[in-house]
Amino acid sequence: MSEAHHTRPLAALRRSDSHAFGGKSAGLGELIAAEIPVAPGFAVSTSAFHAFVREADLDREIAAELSRVSPGDVDSVVAASHAIGEAMRSAPLPEAARDEIETAYGALADEVGTPEPPVAVRSSALGEDGEEATFAGQLESYLWVRGAGRVVDAVRDCWVSLFGPPAIAYRARVGQAEPAMGVAVQLMVDAEVSGVLFTCNPVSGDPSMVAVNASWGLGLAVVGGEVTPDDFLVSKVTGEVVRERVHAKEVEYVPDPAGRGAVRVVVPEERRAVACLDGAALDALVAVGRRVEGVFGARQDVEWAIARGRAAPEGLFVLQSRPVTGLPERRSSSETDTAMGLVMSMFGAGEPKA
Amino acid sequence: METASPIGSFPSPYEVGTPPGCEGWEELYPYYALFDEDRRAADETRFWFWNSMHFPLPMPAFDAICIDTAYQALGTWQNRVFAVPPAMGIDYRCINGYIYISGNPVTDPEKIAQRAGHFQQRAGHYFEHWDELYGAWRTKMEALIAELEALEVPALGELEPDDVVFGDRETSFCAVLDAYRRALRLADVMWQHHFEFLLLGYGAYVTFSELCKAHLPDIPDQHIAQMVAGLDVLLFRPDAELRRLARLALDTEVDGAFVEGRTPAEIESELGRSERGRAWLSELEAIKHPWFHMATGDGLYHYYGSWLDDPTIPYASLTGHIAALEAGEDIERPSDHVATERDRLASEYGALLDGEARKGFDDLLALSRTVFPYVEEHKFLCDYWFLTTWWNTIRDFGGLLAEHGFLDDREDVFQLSRLEVYSALDELLLTWATGGQPRGPTYWPPIVARRKQLLERLADWTPPPAVGAVPEAILDPALIMLWGVTTQRVHAWAQADEDGSSLSGTPASPGVVEGPARVVRNVSEIGDVREGEILVCSITSPAWAPIFSKIQAAVTDIGGVMSHAAIVCREYALPAVVGTGRATSQIRTGQRIRVDGSAGSVTLLE
Repeated sequence: MSEAHHTRPLAALRRSDSHAFGGKSAGLGELIAAEIPVAPGFAVSTSAFHAFVREADLDREIAAELSRVSPGDVDSVVAASHAIGEAMRSAPLPEAARDEIETAYGALADEVGTPEPPVAVRSSALGEDGEEATFAGQLESYLWVRGAGRVVDAVRDCWVSLFGPPAIAYRARVGQAEPAMGVAVQLMVDAEVSGVLFTCNPVSGDPSMVAVNASWGLGLAVVGGEVTPDDFLVSKVTGEVVRERVHAKEVEYVPDPAGRGAVRVVVPEERRAVACLDGAALDALVAVGRRVEGVFGARQDVEWAIARGRAAPEGLFVLQSRPVTGLPERRSSSETDTAMGLVMSMFGAGEPKA
Repeated sequence: METASPIGSFPSPYEVGTPPGCEGWEELYPYYALFDEDRRAADETRFWFWNSMHFPLPMPAFDAICIDTAYQALGTWQNRVFAVPPAMGIDYRCINGYIYISGNPVTDPEKIAQRAGHFQQRAGHYFEHWDELYGAWRTKMEALIAELEALEVPALGELEPDDVVFGDRETSFCAVLDAYRRALRLADVMWQHHFEFLLLGYGAYVTFSELCKAHLPDIPDQHIAQMVAGLDVLLFRPDAELRRLARLALDTEVDGAFVEGRTPAEIESELGRSERGRAWLSELEAIKHPWFHMATGDGLYHYYGSWLDDPTIPYASLTGHIAALEAGEDIERPSDHVATERDRLASEYGALLDGEARKGFDDLLALSRTVFPYVEEHKFLCDYWFLTTWWNTIRDFGGLLAEHGFLDDREDVFQLSRLEVYSALDELLLTWATGGQPRGPTYWPPIVARRKQLLERLADWTPPPAVGAVPEAILDPALIMLWGVTTQRVHAWAQADEDGSSLSGTPASPGVVEGPARVVRNVSEIGDVREGEILVCSITSPAWAPIFSKIQAAVTDIGGVMSHAAIVCREYALPAVVGTGRATSQIRTGQRIRVDGSAGSVTLLE
């Protein structure tokens, strides 16, 4: 068998691979290298996407559809998206890419000792961090996917989402052409609790805080804004909970009992208004947040999950991390602000008179 | 017409009535201390807040010296020495025995600019030579205390002593009045010393605090305070010595004498019966000077004596420490924790900042740590050691007056103003010299009796947190730094929760607890505090430290994050909410309350 070039284990990726595998997969590789708990998995390279488009002769059709789009015309965007999606879904994957994905999935199954392990298949967009952030929520993720064939289909569905109406409209507006995408395939964490943490207060920009949003079940409910999550602000320095707001969490996503996909269920009354994180879990989240921030050297927005029936820190997994963008500007002290100058201003004697 | 102002309102000082039976309270205070008709136009439109931090109880006539002399000194240093650009001094007025204060702003921009120049020069000199000047300050303060301790009130015998005839001793007339004038002068000097460094010390601290908040907007105030806190602070030494003696009691097996509920005399009597007990007592004796000069209250009232005057607090503390040691607890932990936490916080917060911010942080932290020993230590030297000794000197003058029938009891001297005491001494000396019949013995006792009754009745009255106009903003650095009175705080007072089920204040020490409240309005009630209660008071003093090992949390009417309650609560890792404005008037003893020291809220649960 020839050496794989369309896939690679997440653990083998580093930041420098982001041009080929996308920011999400490369970032997960960095986290694994730093021994931060990340569910195992593999990444699909953009080369697979390019091969798919090329071998199925989709490039001309895509270009033709996109040429009819006018950025301000929603109908034209939707029509193009629909046509491209149809064409992509009916085209086969190149054999080499399909084989490699199936092989990598088989290796993952062997690694965890389960025949058809459930995985999350997520888009791993290319480009700058900022662009990726802008794309957040436009590109698809598929949860609780089981079986090699369905994994392959989910990879293609991720590619299709690159031509979803919002993505097309965005690229048309900024004049960006030739999109490409990597995909991350990761062992599914059956989350009892999941959410997002920021390694700063995203509202005030305070870098000494970790802000945590958490809710029951898989992360879809938090990311999709379907619940008001429990909201914690924790001091990164002392671990003190500075603010805690527990909300009624009315729905959660759990694995479909049928075995594939996730379903939305109503949270039983008695669990709704219960805080879904305890002190130990918050401590673990703050510790992980600090380590992730250390790996990337910048404020991070981290998706995480705590596995069902397991307690943090052992049960805590990082699902993805990306830089925090759009922080409020903090007051910058002027060049001449010495300690004494600041004390003088405090007493209203800040402006020296000639 | 429009509804109520969005920023709420305070009563006019001229509309606050006199409580029944308290008519005539004005006679206790100087003519200039009252809201009078002559100044009504100006006074009614100013913002006045009740200084319950320093004066939580109605002022006895003599104790009012701590208002006059203190504000004289504050004004001198802030306005006339350093020329703080936007603020002159603090004016005060008295309502029903309670003290309301208001800042005098400088509003003329040209004058502010002129003062800024002076301030930079003068304050700059102090900051630049801080250690040297503060060293000199310690020396002169200790000399002042030594002078006070040496001051004796001459006795009036049947005849002048031989020294007047055969030596060069002055006559008693001169000696008594001179001693009294010297006593007053020593207080004047102490208050001048007290304010020499205070504003600059707090100013550096507040600047550091502002810088932290600009770059770390969510940083809890208590972390800022923890980074600056002194490690070996005079204020905590007395209790540290008691902890050492508690260990000694265990080591030498005399701990059995310390039974909860025993009086100091009972404990000492049992200790006195054994060799080892006597050895322990002599160790205790050795620390009394100076550490027992700790006050039992905040020092600004004559009845707040020192531990020497009333050893109940140190003995209660010893008993508590010994019980904790017997239960296997580590009584040293809090202070060690403060020390390591201080440096850990500073390095972690510092590491989160970069460039200019990092430099400002490091420099201001260093400056704050340089100036902070003063902020913490002046309390022990001025407010406790000096003042508790000084009240005893005044008591001795009371003793002289009582001996000659001018007063029923030496304590009664505090019911006269300092000028009235001068006048009584004057008459005593006149009639002692002439052999004539003094008027004093019939003149003063009824006045004393009336004033005592007035004070008792006034103590039951609850003063509003503020009177006069609601200010748009508080800009006076002294009000912000020394009293923690900020625009936000004042507006919260003005819009006080009408149903009274919750109070908000400054979060001063983190944590959430529920428990029964113990409202303490007077230091004499401190002995009532029971294990597990939440202390509710106007303001605490570090001298109360021992009871902090009993309580679960503290709530105060006034004070900021650097107030004493806040400092001690952090030391003891107890939740605290300070500056609620009206906790002592809205909460009653026994009521269950929830204190959230992180959010700064107090909820009345029943």
